[in-house]
Amino acid sequence: METSNPLNPEKPFSQEPLNNKNSEIWTERYRPKKFEELVGQDDIVKKVQNLTKALNIPHLLFAGPAGTGKSTLALIIVKELFGSTWKENYLELNASDERGIDVVRQKVKDFARTKALGNVPFKVIFLDEADALTKEAQQALRRTMENYTSTCRFVMSCNYSSKIIDPIQSRCAIFRFKLLEKKDIEKRLRLIVEKENLQISDQTIEALYESSEGDFRRVINLLQASASISPTITAELINTLTSTAKPAEVKIVLEYALSGDFLKAKEKLLDVMLKESVAGTDIIKAIQKEIWNLQIDDELKVRLTEKTGETEFRMTEGSDEFIQLESLLASFVLAGKGLR
Amino acid sequence: MPTLPLIEKYRATSFEEIKGQNTAIQEITAFLKTFPMKKALILNGPVGIGKTCMAISLAKEFNLELFELNASDLRNRSKLDEVLKPATAQKSLFKKGKLILMDEADGITSSDRGGLPELLVLIEKTKHPIIITANDIWQRKFNLLRKKCHLVNLKELRNEIVLEILIEVLEKEKIPDREINLQTINTIAKKSRGDIRAALNDLQTVLELGQEAYISEKIEREKQDTIFNALKIIFQNPTDKDTLSAYNNTKLDLNEILLWVEENIPLEYKGKALTKAYDSLSKADLFKGRIYRQQYWRFLVYQNFFLSAGISASTKLKNKTFISYKKPTRILKIWLSNQKNAKKKSIIAKYAKLTHMSKKKANKESFLFPLILNHKNTHEKLDLDEKEQKWLKDKKEAMIEKYNLG
Repeated sequence: METSNPLNPEKPFSQEPLNNKNSEIWTERYRPKKFEELVGQDDIVKKVQNLTKALNIPHLLFAGPAGTGKSTLALIIVKELFGSTWKENYLELNASDERGIDVVRQKVKDFARTKALGNVPFKVIFLDEADALTKEAQQALRRTMENYTSTCRFVMSCNYSSKIIDPIQSRCAIFRFKLLEKKDIEKRLRLIVEKENLQISDQTIEALYESSEGDFRRVINLLQASASISPTITAELINTLTSTAKPAEVKIVLEYALSGDFLKAKEKLLDVMLKESVAGTDIIKAIQKEIWNLQIDDELKVRLTEKTGETEFRMTEGSDEFIQLESLLASFVLAGKGLR
Repeated sequence: MPTLPLIEKYRATSFEEIKGQNTAIQEITAFLKTFPMKKALILNGPVGIGKTCMAISLAKEFNLELFELNASDLRNRSKLDEVLKPATAQKSLFKKGKLILMDEADGITSSDRGGLPELLVLIEKTKHPIIITANDIWQRKFNLLRKKCHLVNLKELRNEIVLEILIEVLEKEKIPDREINLQTINTIAKKSRGDIRAALNDLQTVLELGQEAYISEKIEREKQDTIFNALKIIFQNPTDKDTLSAYNNTKLDLNEILLWVEENIPLEYKGKALTKAYDSLSKADLFKGRIYRQQYWRFLVYQNFFLSAGISASTKLKNKTFISYKKPTRILKIWLSNQKNAKKKSIIAKYAKLTHMSKKKANKESFLFPLILNHKNTHEKLDLDEKEQKWLKDKKEAMIEKYNLG
């Protein structure tokens, strides 16, 4: 079923073949181009599709986990709205990459100053990862949103809507994206497997689903990575690939600390963080998970987890993640004292 | 105006004139009386507290001829022969014997010419007592030397004693009260941190150039007051009243100091104190983050507090062992790693732009880059340069080898 572009009826949408060899990155090649292709978010798609058809979208806020289709839906909306001129009428900003709210505001101003091309009276700004903005920056953005409402609509995405201040939430239609279920992932995955002439077993699909934690981007990247080695995708290969991403060495860091060798633990920690440029927040997640696997008393595990929580909190408030992690390691050294 | 510098004019030449070092004087006297039970004695302590004066006075009290050696003399045969000759064979004309002074031993290197091995030989063979002065005898290279010698540790002079000496000098110089006020003298004494040489030099500046000139001169001296001193105060003197202002003289900003402290905490503290110290450091960083985020600069007070007094309170014990503090290395490591990861970073940026995601998220997928971006088409699409392409290729090969793929 082809949806026709309301602005450009001569130009049906799924014109480009799925197998566009220009883009060899599968996450792009298989990014849904039409509302119907988006899986797992049926209710949202239906509502957004209706809004888009009316050629008047409100500000939108997409909340939900990574890899569930937030950016993809935003792209579908603008392509649907503007057709071939979508690139001129669409600005994508990434809150976690833009260094300050001033940059964002400047870019927004420059973009919104000129009128939209075509029938649609507004342009669209997609502000990805809006929850990366501080409260103050969000307050500032709120004014900008109001000032340019007539010429510009905002689509914002975030992982947690609670991190978006109320005044912004109240100006947006909020859509909460669900974590993709296995059947949704499987449906789309099988399509790709078929197009790429790959072999895959049910067990491997299970492994892909497990290691992706519902993130479809990860599923496709893992699939492409495996396919680059062999057209037969095996669960074993998937597991090998995902293990390279996990900061497994965190365990070694903790073991050094528990054995009392703080300096070694510290050195190893910095090494792990720098070598794979792992963020402190990912390290602390790994530490928190690892505590339960340690060979220590349960009560100690509770105490250390509490300390880990406090450290994670301080990381969000402080300025230097490494110092906070070091401080946590010092607690491990002390906890390890009773074990030696 | 005096032509001789005050520091020379009023150099102590007898035990009586040396102030605030009574225990040390007892020890040094006992050493001489029991010689040759121990052949050498080390006077270890900070500068300007009277180590050399003590040796000079000792020679005078016991009517010994003072024989000074320096590092290069240790290789000077004729000079050493003089020392090594039997004491009876070369008694000086009027004095009973000799006292050898090896001043400022820190300058001796362990392997070079005129080095430590020669000094150790000298101690073995000497017929005369040897006094060695040093600022920091706890360096590893002195391990052997320490074992062979009687060690006397000297503390910096107490503030009152410096003050007493300064006032005494002023009286002897017959300086009228109005020319120099008590407050300036107090400042001089306090700034000297128990270094009487520095105090007397400061006093001289004030007398010759007036109090205003002293202030600017003082600033110059403060510049030399390094971060090492600050760390020493914080880490090793938990009872020091100056902990809060310890960093004032370092001329480093708080961020740099934070890194210095971070680097050196584990060298100084163990166990519970380590945890406490890091907790304070963590809190200092917490306030730093709040300042940055909210631009609320009053939090600086707390950042400074936790960084100084907070850490200092980690232990009540005074640490006497010498610790050679290290320069912060983390920034350098980060820089090196960034250089190494520059290719990866630029690929991430290009990939993020093409695939509508943030660099942060793209970084999380980057472990798969070598496998998913290694196509000619993708290279073109991402506009990768030759170096970036090579990085991907090398990484892919490394991955295949490491995980035994393919």
